[in-house]
Amino acid sequence: MIELDVQLPLPRFILEVRATLGERVTALVGRSGAGKTSLLESIAGLRPASGRIIIDGVDIAKLPPERRRIGYVPQDVALFPHLDVRGNIRFGSRDETRFTSLAETLELAPLLQRSPSTLSGGERQRVALARALMTAPRLLLLDEPLASVDQPLRERILIFLRRIRDLGVPMIYVTHQTFEALALATSCIVLDEGRVIAHGAPRDVLYEFAAEVDNVFEVAKPRHEPERGITHVSTKSGLELALPHDEVATAIFPLVVRISGEEIVVFGERPTSISSRNVIEGEIVARRERDGSVDLTVATPEAVHVRVTRGAANDLDLVTGRRVWLAMRSRSFRVVG
Amino acid sequence: MSDFGIVLFTLQVAAISTAIIAPFALLLAAWSWRASGVTRTIVDALGTLPLVMPPTAVGYLLLELLSRQHAIGRALDAMHVDILFTPAAVVIACAVMSFPLMFNAFRVAIDDSNARCFDIARTLGSSRANAFARVTLPLAWRGLAAGLILAWCRAIGEFGATILVAGNIPGRTQTLALAIFDRVQSGQSASALLMYVVAIAFSAVVASELLSRAQRRRQAR
Repeated sequence: MIELDVQLPLPRFILEVRATLGERVTALVGRSGAGKTSLLESIAGLRPASGRIIIDGVDIAKLPPERRRIGYVPQDVALFPHLDVRGNIRFGSRDETRFTSLAETLELAPLLQRSPSTLSGGERQRVALARALMTAPRLLLLDEPLASVDQPLRERILIFLRRIRDLGVPMIYVTHQTFEALALATSCIVLDEGRVIAHGAPRDVLYEFAAEVDNVFEVAKPRHEPERGITHVSTKSGLELALPHDEVATAIFPLVVRISGEEIVVFGERPTSISSRNVIEGEIVARRERDGSVDLTVATPEAVHVRVTRGAANDLDLVTGRRVWLAMRSRSFRVVG
Repeated sequence: MSDFGIVLFTLQVAAISTAIIAPFALLLAAWSWRASGVTRTIVDALGTLPLVMPPTAVGYLLLELLSRQHAIGRALDAMHVDILFTPAAVVIACAVMSFPLMFNAFRVAIDDSNARCFDIARTLGSSRANAFARVTLPLAWRGLAAGLILAWCRAIGEFGATILVAGNIPGRTQTLALAIFDRVQSGQSASALLMYVVAIAFSAVVASELLSRAQRRRQAR
């Protein structure tokens, strides 16, 4: 259990965060300049803040950074340029068992002799993660680890982040991407002008505050039909989806996929002839007016968030309680990791 | 003393004074690096002061401090330690006058090292001193070496403060700069000594410049 009660004067506002976090992954979201990085630096002990930071019953707020046992991976990763990858990873600890295990988990063995300047963005992220994890931190802080990497690499790093999550290390994870928070986090904090304006389950909080409408599903039980170019999968709640076979043929399941709510088509009646391989029946359980658009939450075996224009919502009479059919193209799904 | 003897004595004195001030310059530069606001301004001003004062004024100040009129001088006298007009006085004058060059070079080298890496080292369990030794110093070493060379060069050329606290005693306190002055005063040719000075200074400045460039290249990567 992590309890934060942090106050830190910043040039534009005073960062004041009071929150109790679960033991898994907390996504920290908010606009640029909202105080996210400052909060992480306060927790790591790199910015002197007042208040309390209690982890597992111990108040670490007065401890210097070296005694906090907080792993911190900043946005620029800050690998030590004068040390090779092995030297970077072993900087904080020489525990050989842990080193071997992390090198295996994060697939770093081929990189150990290399200089940081020769690594790609994704490789640098993995080395920084291993370096932070070597000290067996009681909390891992990640500042937008996927911000500077392109899409294929992002998917790959997310796989590693999920592996780290599964190691049981609690994480606070800064992100601008809704789907990242949905794919990784077990709770979510929205920060604005240094204050917590929302805290709860990622799905609820992000639907309320995120600019984009994303749906993230963890899928398993693949049934491949290569001749039809489709792989059928199921979510834990029983939602059946068809994904493009070529994109998931070699994937390791369970797999996280996402689809933007703007790419889902809503029908007022069951469509009889349609190219979309996913047509799901559901009931509108929430409707929210946005600037020029309407966000709907449709209850299917999983809650699905959809964004339509106000005109479409009015023409189809998309109100709470209405039965609708959602069409999702297989190709609209993106593999998250 | 032969010309070569004068050169050797000067190089030795410059090397000793450089070695003596190096840890102090490093400590002050490190303090300046982590300080902020008024503290940093004061630390920087203290480190740079001898650079902007006339060397003769610095020499006079040292003369006063080391004479029996001052507590420091009296304390040294009580311990039967003679400083004034000895090779030790040459070392002190060189040290004081070359300190600002070394301090400023160190400060720039440390400032340009990656402060983020220092912070990360601390989150990985290193104390301030440990993180400084294991991360900041290796990242800044080229700039630090350039500072050592610059200070050593400055010590070789030191004149104004040295002549006041050490005099110009041939075979005892006479350095290259003082010997050239002496020969010009007595109408002799100082060209041989001048060649030594030019050769040493040129090599040292080239080495310093190469190191500084290497440091800048590393930061740009």
